[in-house]
Amino acid sequence: MQNTSSTEQIEQDVLAAMSRPSRCYLACIFLAGLVFLGGMALWSRQIALGMGVAGISHPVGWGVYITDFVFWVGIAHSGTLISAVLYIFRARFRTSFNRAAEAMTIFALMVAGLFPLIHLGRVWLAYFLFPYPNQRQLWVNFRSPLVWDVFAVSTYMLVSLVFFFVGLVPDLAIVARRRPGFIGKIYRLASLGWVGNSQQWRHYTKLYFFLAAFATPLVASVHSIVSWDFAVSIVPGWHTTIFAPYFVAGAILSGTAMVITLVIPMRRLLRLETYIPISHIESIAKILLLTSLIVGFAYVVEQGLAFYSGNLYEMEQFRFRALGDYRLLFWIMVSCNAILPLTLFVGRLRRNLAYLFILSLLVNVGMWLERFVIVVTSLARDFDPYAWGNYTPSFTEIGITAGSFGLFFLLFLLFIKILPVLSITELKER
Amino acid sequence: MARQLFFDDQQTFLQQLEQLLSDGIPSGQLDVRTPYHLSEIDTLLGQPPSKLPLFALGGALAGFGGGFLLAALTSLDWPVITGGKPIVAVPAFLLIGYLMTILIGSLASFAGFLLLARLPQVDALLEEQDFDSRFIITIADEVAPCTTPN
Repeated sequence: MQNTSSTEQIEQDVLAAMSRPSRCYLACIFLAGLVFLGGMALWSRQIALGMGVAGISHPVGWGVYITDFVFWVGIAHSGTLISAVLYIFRARFRTSFNRAAEAMTIFALMVAGLFPLIHLGRVWLAYFLFPYPNQRQLWVNFRSPLVWDVFAVSTYMLVSLVFFFVGLVPDLAIVARRRPGFIGKIYRLASLGWVGNSQQWRHYTKLYFFLAAFATPLVASVHSIVSWDFAVSIVPGWHTTIFAPYFVAGAILSGTAMVITLVIPMRRLLRLETYIPISHIESIAKILLLTSLIVGFAYVVEQGLAFYSGNLYEMEQFRFRALGDYRLLFWIMVSCNAILPLTLFVGRLRRNLAYLFILSLLVNVGMWLERFVIVVTSLARDFDPYAWGNYTPSFTEIGITAGSFGLFFLLFLLFIKILPVLSITELKER
Repeated sequence: MARQLFFDDQQTFLQQLEQLLSDGIPSGQLDVRTPYHLSEIDTLLGQPPSKLPLFALGGALAGFGGGFLLAALTSLDWPVITGGKPIVAVPAFLLIGYLMTILIGSLASFAGFLLLARLPQVDALLEEQDFDSRFIITIADEVAPCTTPN
C-alpha cells in the first residue's frame, strides 16, 4: 500500500544485499567451505574404511549421527512455523523473517537428510529405504517408524521447497527487471515469466494459502514422527508418550534460536534495520521464551513420569541422566534450554540484540546436547547392567558434525547473495 | 492498438479501474497488472472464484488413498508379520496416507496453479516483459497513443 518511490526504495534496499560480495563475506564462504570439505573428507574416509572409524558400537549404536539428524530436522521447524503458521494467523512480523527462515528450513533439511545416509555406512544402498518394485520382490516395512521418517522428511523437504519457490516467484521477476544481461535472463526464466496480472495474483494467493495450510500440520507431525523413532521402542528413557509434543516444542525452540542466530548478523551486515525492526525480533524472542517454557516443563514431566511410574529401569535411566557419566551435558542442556531463556521475561533483554544473539547460540548448543543426551544415555544404560557402556564420539564423528555446520552456513551465505533475503512483494504490501 | 495507464498510487488506480468499467469497457478488454495482490480487482472485474481448491482437494484425496494403498498392498504382496502387528496395520498405514495427503495435495495445488495462471508464460519470457512496480491497466483494441502517466 505504498507509492512507487517507496516501493522502489524497498527493491533497492533488499537487492543491495545481492551486490558484489565483500572480503569479509568471501572469507566466511571460504571458512564454511573448508569446514564442509573437511567433513566430506572424513565421510569419504568412513566410506572407505567402514563404520569402525565412528565411535558407535555396542551398546550405543546410535550416536552423534542420529543426534545430528534429529538436531537438523528440529532446526528446520521454525522455518515452517514462521512461514506457514504465522501466515495463516496474519502475524505482521513474519515478513521480516519468512524468506530467511524458509531458506534455513531447506538447508537444514538438506543437511539432516545426509545423516541417515552417513549413519547407514553402506551409503550406496540408501535407495533400499524407498518403496519401489524390485527384482528381490521386497517392500519396505511400513510398520516401522524409520520408514515413516523417510516419508515424513521427504514430504517436508518437497513441500518446503515448493513453498519457498512459490514465495520467490514475484521477487525473482523483480530481480530479473533490475538485473540486466544474462543473469537477468536466468532470473526471468526462474520467475516463469511472472508479470503480476490479475489472473496470476488471484491463483497465486490461493496457492500460497493452500501451501501454508498443507505445511502447518507438518510443523507438528514431522518431529512427532522423528520422536517415534525412539518412543515406539521399549528402551528406558525413550518409551514415553510425551515425546511427540516434547520434540515439537524443542524443534521450534532450536529453530527459532537458529533464526535469531542468522538474522541478527544478517540484519546488520546487509543494513536491513528498517525492514527487520527490533520489535519484530522481540516477537521472535517471545516465541523462543514460550517454547523454552514448554521444553522446561517437558524436562520436569519426564523426570516426574519416570519416578512416579515406579519402574526401576525408568528411574535408573533418569537418575543416570542427571547424576551419571553424562551429567555435565545434562545440566548444560537444562541451563541453556530451560533456565537462561527465562531471562527473556525482561523486556529490555528481549530487545538487546547482542544478548539475544549470544542466548540463541547457547540455546543451539543446549538443543544439540538435548538430542545427544536423549539418544546416547538411554542406550548406554538400558535393562541389563552387563550390557551397559559409555560412548565417546570419535574424531570422524566430530569432524562430520562440524562439516554439517559448514555446509549449512555455506548454503545460507550463498543464499543471501543469490536470492532476495526478504520478501519484497510482501514488504510492499505491508 | 492497446492503451496503457500507469499509476503510482493504489487508490487512484482502483478509482480509474472502476471508472473504466462504469464507462462500459468490458472487463475482458482490460489487462490489469499490480505489484501485489489486490482483492478489490477480482470483485471489480467480476472474476469467478479460483478453481485451485479442486486441485488441492483432488491431490489430497489421491495422496491419502494412494499412500494408504501403497502401504497396504505392498504389505499384502509380501505378508511378513513384524512386531506382532497385523499385515494391514491401519494406524501405521494411516500415517503414510496422511503424509501423502500433504505431499500430493501440495504438488497438485502447485501444478494446478501453473495451469490456471498459465505459467510458465512463454510470451513474457520471449518478449522480456517486466513485472512492474507500478499499477498498470492495459485497454485492448483501442487506437490510442501509448503511456499516459498518472
